[in-house]
Amino acid sequence: MSIMQYNGGSVIAMVGKDCVAIASDLRLGNQALGISSNFQKIFSVTDRIYLGLPGLATDVTTLRELFRYRVNMYTIKEEREIQPETFAHLVSSTLYEHRFGPYFIEPVMAGLSKTPSGSFKPFIAATDLIGCLNFAKDFVVAGTASEKLYGVAEGLWESDLEPEDLFETISQTMLNAVDRDAYSGWGVVVHVITKDKVVTRTLKGRMD
Amino acid sequence: MDHIDMQQIKNGEVNLGTSIMAVQFEGGVVIGADSRTTTGSYIANRVTDKLTFLHDRVYCCRSGSAADTQAIADMGHYYLQMQAQSLGSAPAVLTAASLMEKMCYQNKDQLSAGIIVAGWDESGGPSVYNIPLGGGLFRQPWAIGGSGSTYVYGYCDATYQEGWGRDETINFVKNTLALAMSRDGSSGGCIRMCVITEDKVERLFVPGDELPRFWEGREVLGEAKKPTINRDVVPMAVEV
Amino acid sequence: MATASVYSSPGFDFSNQIRNNFLAEKGLPLPKATSTGTTIVGCLFEGGIILGADTRATEGPIVADKNCEKIHYITESIRCCGAGTAADTEFVTNLISSNMEMHALTHGRKPRVVTAMTMLKQYLFRYQGHVGAALVLGGVDSTGPNLFTIHPHGSTDKLPYVTMGSGSLAAMAVFESGWKTKMSREDALQLVKDAIAAGIFNDLGSGSNIDACIITPNHTEMLRNVEMPNERETKEKSYKFRRGTTEWKSESIRKLIVSEEITPIGGDAMDTS
Repeated sequence: MSIMQYNGGSVIAMVGKDCVAIASDLRLGNQALGISSNFQKIFSVTDRIYLGLPGLATDVTTLRELFRYRVNMYTIKEEREIQPETFAHLVSSTLYEHRFGPYFIEPVMAGLSKTPSGSFKPFIAATDLIGCLNFAKDFVVAGTASEKLYGVAEGLWESDLEPEDLFETISQTMLNAVDRDAYSGWGVVVHVITKDKVVTRTLKGRMD
Repeated sequence: MDHIDMQQIKNGEVNLGTSIMAVQFEGGVVIGADSRTTTGSYIANRVTDKLTFLHDRVYCCRSGSAADTQAIADMGHYYLQMQAQSLGSAPAVLTAASLMEKMCYQNKDQLSAGIIVAGWDESGGPSVYNIPLGGGLFRQPWAIGGSGSTYVYGYCDATYQEGWGRDETINFVKNTLALAMSRDGSSGGCIRMCVITEDKVERLFVPGDELPRFWEGREVLGEAKKPTINRDVVPMAVEV
Repeated sequence: MATASVYSSPGFDFSNQIRNNFLAEKGLPLPKATSTGTTIVGCLFEGGIILGADTRATEGPIVADKNCEKIHYITESIRCCGAGTAADTEFVTNLISSNMEMHALTHGRKPRVVTAMTMLKQYLFRYQGHVGAALVLGGVDSTGPNLFTIHPHGSTDKLPYVTMGSGSLAAMAVFESGWKTKMSREDALQLVKDAIAAGIFNDLGSGSNIDACIITPNHTEMLRNVEMPNERETKEKSYKFRRGTTEWKSESIRKLIVSEEITPIGGDAMDTS
């Protein structure tokens, strides 16, 4: 039993055609005991950046506040909204600052970054618990079901999925992976981010 | 946790499981070392230079942790440069040696470094100083160090004589190191030597296939006999 | 915590250590960070240096990244391959790269490879191996081509051909049998590719593609994915789900502003001259 498995939970993010999706389960546990079936692990950082924080629940809350603080300070100082790439580096440096006493969180980020021409480019990233960035072109996963998520996503993901298709792919990936993980589950929440809207849907999952 | 387990910390560290040596003679010193650096059973560097420059006529031979001894040697090099600049003259070997000893002793809990400092200076002539593992400074006519040295103390005691010249001393160092390298698994490769005299520092190199060779054993039980087949024996008749 | 600046004090923050030690004492082992169980190499040739790396990042037995970049930028003509704890190699090379830029600016000339080497070894020695970066540093400066390995504890070696990481044994076997002095650029690149390939195919910690970087006195060529011996087959069939496969309990839609149009109302716009 590692600290990373103490509260359970998993997050996945995927790239689609001009859209990104991020999904997480809703379980909060105390080892094998389920505590809550509505524990949000995904937070919106800006309109077009979402951040998933799977790991130790106490650190989920702490880091969520820490990032909110740092993003607010950035916005005030720079007088502009933070871009996903910049935010990914902010997450990375914040975690590496705690290299020798880490937060037990493996963040997953999904967002749309503004290109100089004014259009939006999909962006996903994940880091390990000490802030090593992983910019993937397809999908990133983290949490107690990460091993299963890797397998299912590797099989189901394909490039250039439309928002509605991406929703189906990420939802099925999450639901099926989480069913084989004792520490994740109890419902799933999915966010699909497109340039003009964010669709958030709650899915029914197994309750055992 | 009042005592930290060094073995645990230093696990996976690069080591100079070494054979090093320095011998003083009339007019100079000869220092020598093998060239093997290991991480566990892997040879990380087979042509290492363990004879490290401290000042114009002062060198050191390093044994122990590669990182620790390199850091100490770099610090020593830096301080001696500064001192030479401010005093306007080359530092004495004793100065260099006691500086190195100070660093080894004061940080003995965190270091694994066995160093031999040798060189030539105006006041003291040629000299060899040994700084063993936890610190301490000992002037010796000859000094050996590193894991390979344990195999050749007897050879050195039996062979060394006062009043040797340059070539005899070089031979002594070369032979001793070759013997140590052949017995010690953590030592090997080639031999590097330096002859430090008032006039110059001369570097010598002995490739691994040109090392002095000594008795290397032979088949003690004699040659294995070929199995002889007795032609008289007739195969047994098999009943069908 | 309650600093007025976004920038906190430099260096590491140990504030979680007491809590984490407490958790570790309770028998909860500390989790593993991403490591690059890597093959990285460097090789001298007539006129420059070639660095090589594989592109796999692992987290225990899981491949965390199939195409990561392990050849890091230090300066235009100095690059550094990293193995070990992935975050450490990333941050250590970034830090030294930044310091090298500052060094170049204050002294008004191109910094040397030994300068980067000294900065790296002193930094790693200070952290006594806890910053787990094993590096191959290579580059060309006013003294010519230089190639070093730097171990996590801060020891360095200067050699004409070097390998590091879990695949270093496989790669070194290729170098020991194939390296010659004064090799041509083409031969050296092929040797580097072969060495990395040996790591990719014989070491489990290494895999995917080959990256190389050729550094010569007046040109640095970064060959990202020079060879891709492990490309994934394209799927024969689409695994798209029929829309409506997943039923949902609730839906909320957040409309976003895509573009803003500013219409000044009445009078002239504010004088900003």
